[in-house]
Amino acid sequence: MPAPSPIARLPLCQLPAGAVGRVQAITGDEGFCQRLREMGCGEAALITKISGTTTSLCQVNGTRIALNHSAAMNILVERVPVPPRTESRRA
Amino acid sequence: MQLPAHINPPAPKRNAAPARAPVYALVGNPNCGKSTLFNALTGLKQKVGNYPGVTVEKKVGTAYSQHGQPLTVIDLPGAYSLAARSPDEAVTRDVLLGRRSDTAQPDRILCIVDATNLERNLYLVHQVLDLGRPVIVVLNMMDLAAEAGMAVFPDKLAQELGVPVIPCEAVRGKGLIELRLAMSRADLPLSRHAWDVPGAIAPAVAEIQASLVAHDAKSPLIARAESLLLLTDQDSVRVAGSTPLSARTTEILAGWQKRWSAENMDWAGTLVSSRYDAIGRIAAEVVQPGTAGQGPSPSDRIDAVVTHPIWGWITLGAVMCLIFVSIFTLAEYPMNWIDRHIAALADWVKGSMAPGDLRDLITDGAISGVGGVVIFLPQILILFFFIGLLESTGYMARAAFIMDRLMSRVGLNGKSFIPLLSSYACAIPGIMATRTIEDPKDRLVTILVAPLMSCSARLPVYLLMIAALLPAERVPLTTKVGIMFLMYFLGTFAAFGFAWLFKRTLLKGVPPMMIMELPPYRMPGVKDVGLHMLERAWIFLRRAGTVILGISIVLWFLSAYPKAPAGASPSEQLSGSFAGMAGHALEPVIKPLGFDWQIGIGLISSFAAREVFVSTMGVVFNAEADDGDTAPLRSALLKARWPDGRMLFTPLVCFGLMIFYVFAMQCISTIAIVKRETNSWKWPLFQTAYMTGTAWILALLVYQVGRGLGF
Repeated sequence: MPAPSPIARLPLCQLPAGAVGRVQAITGDEGFCQRLREMGCGEAALITKISGTTTSLCQVNGTRIALNHSAAMNILVERVPVPPRTESRRA
Repeated sequence: MQLPAHINPPAPKRNAAPARAPVYALVGNPNCGKSTLFNALTGLKQKVGNYPGVTVEKKVGTAYSQHGQPLTVIDLPGAYSLAARSPDEAVTRDVLLGRRSDTAQPDRILCIVDATNLERNLYLVHQVLDLGRPVIVVLNMMDLAAEAGMAVFPDKLAQELGVPVIPCEAVRGKGLIELRLAMSRADLPLSRHAWDVPGAIAPAVAEIQASLVAHDAKSPLIARAESLLLLTDQDSVRVAGSTPLSARTTEILAGWQKRWSAENMDWAGTLVSSRYDAIGRIAAEVVQPGTAGQGPSPSDRIDAVVTHPIWGWITLGAVMCLIFVSIFTLAEYPMNWIDRHIAALADWVKGSMAPGDLRDLITDGAISGVGGVVIFLPQILILFFFIGLLESTGYMARAAFIMDRLMSRVGLNGKSFIPLLSSYACAIPGIMATRTIEDPKDRLVTILVAPLMSCSARLPVYLLMIAALLPAERVPLTTKVGIMFLMYFLGTFAAFGFAWLFKRTLLKGVPPMMIMELPPYRMPGVKDVGLHMLERAWIFLRRAGTVILGISIVLWFLSAYPKAPAGASPSEQLSGSFAGMAGHALEPVIKPLGFDWQIGIGLISSFAAREVFVSTMGVVFNAEADDGDTAPLRSALLKARWPDGRMLFTPLVCFGLMIFYVFAMQCISTIAIVKRETNSWKWPLFQTAYMTGTAWILALLVYQVGRGLGF
């Protein structure tokens, strides 16, 4: 399968199901950004999108998390090729 | 060895065991198995209360050391970080930092860690180690880590952190003896783990630490932990009972934040990142990532169905149907049993005591009042059995995920679903469950609409009115069930409608951001679910034995005094009583709804609790049977007439009464808990006004439009 073409940042809610994104930036409420980082979903974390556009179901560091649309809109990711294992938090 | 400048020397070791039972605090991330471990350690020796001023539950239990010495264990609410985002997490933070005057700072801390997700769980442990208290780390779910092909080395973790690390499988009781042995140690080492605070932030940490020692009477180690926390906490969540910071410390903190903001520096992000760097180094030594599990896990396969856009809704619908059918069918037998025994008790008291006020007070006041509420215990137990089951299997988070899309339409998020679901049993546990909602406005909106969900106390009113409205011999059961569902639907629809309205008017805010962990599916712990049910049953019975008993006695007094002349019938007595006078006074307000003063007495008395309406109607209309059996009461209601001879309980009035009870705020206990949760009288009064106002308007519309249409 050809590697996806390098594209600019896109919100997590627009990442297709099954794709992996690396968090580039988190915007919005400071407290929420802080919590995302504390839960290991900060900048450089790898997120696998499982399903959803309104409410996103994702896998981060082996944990399943649900993010609502507002939250997923504020997480900007860069799509990366699906690695053999996507469990590691940081590259 | 010379310690780095920012590390204070540890306190001298205590050689002797403390005279009182040492206090352990249990902390950990949500879903790490903390409650299971608490139950395993303390068994039935638990006390559930509340932290004063907040509706966060305070669970304290007694465990025993290997030598039989009692140990006090406080189960703190689950938290991802000490930088609190919800009242639950704020309580955990405040207890650990010694900020609460109602709870002494724990002597020792048990950190429960999910071995399958060590890195994220170590974030909280890392913050706790900064507190300078003796810590024991419990590596829970070692079996699941092994199943996932991961190798976790407790000895290496103990070496890295410098504290005892106990591998454990709380569900199976494995590792508990080793844990008790560690808890029995007279002296526990303080952590040797040191991490580098980023250079740009270190001077701020030192200055705030010095101020906390000088102005807030903190010990140096706690002060350092708190200064690190204050820089990431943003002090966003303050709860009642938490000691505020001194003006000087607040000023220093604000000064640094202002300076960093001007320099465009992300100090909070830098601190989190440096912690994760330190944790990453530890995790690399301690965990060997799994080789198994390349394909989807069993949890993934279940999720593919239960979080599916179509199958997910079907599953949720089936689960909800199962819960409701169980509540309404399985509960019938124990409810009848309780009802029979309460009636038998009242008869026994009547037979054993001489007639008089004292006997009437006991039978008509205490036994019938408390009995009328205790009868709902089976329904509440069944609901909490299912809620416990859904939570312990991990499905509850999926239900919230599925509901998020619907909730977002009205401006809430999926986390409001669990409180609203609990409110079908009783609004009180529903309101208590809102403590996990992070956004204060979302929490308040959920609290304001939760009592609109039809609770089990409305059920007897619906049953009585349906019985009066639709005689059993002429109307099929499906029509009755249909009307019942209509009432539940109206309540639910109103809850969503008002949430939508409040989020657009009174409590406007940016759309809330929700992040929620979906734990892996697990087999439910029978003991945990059982304890959860027992705990709820106890809280419910305690309320019945205190608040409702008191109100029942007051209501009895109001309906028994002043005494009517000798020979008067019970309904004449009631008419002239204080309650009767109140009913007459209320009649002009409720007459447009088709209700007379006798129904007015029911409305007033059921302001204490909705189900009291049924027993009051029994007294008012002089029905001979006890209030549990609606058939004789139905006949009595059908005979009731206005002074001009018109029938009182016409189908339209019965329907109007049901509509009134769907919307009206008729529950003193709910008002009291909303007052406690919101810390003011403003919101419970507003809630009572909007709910009862809506109830009045809709009952008026039903009656007047119905009459206009010739019903």
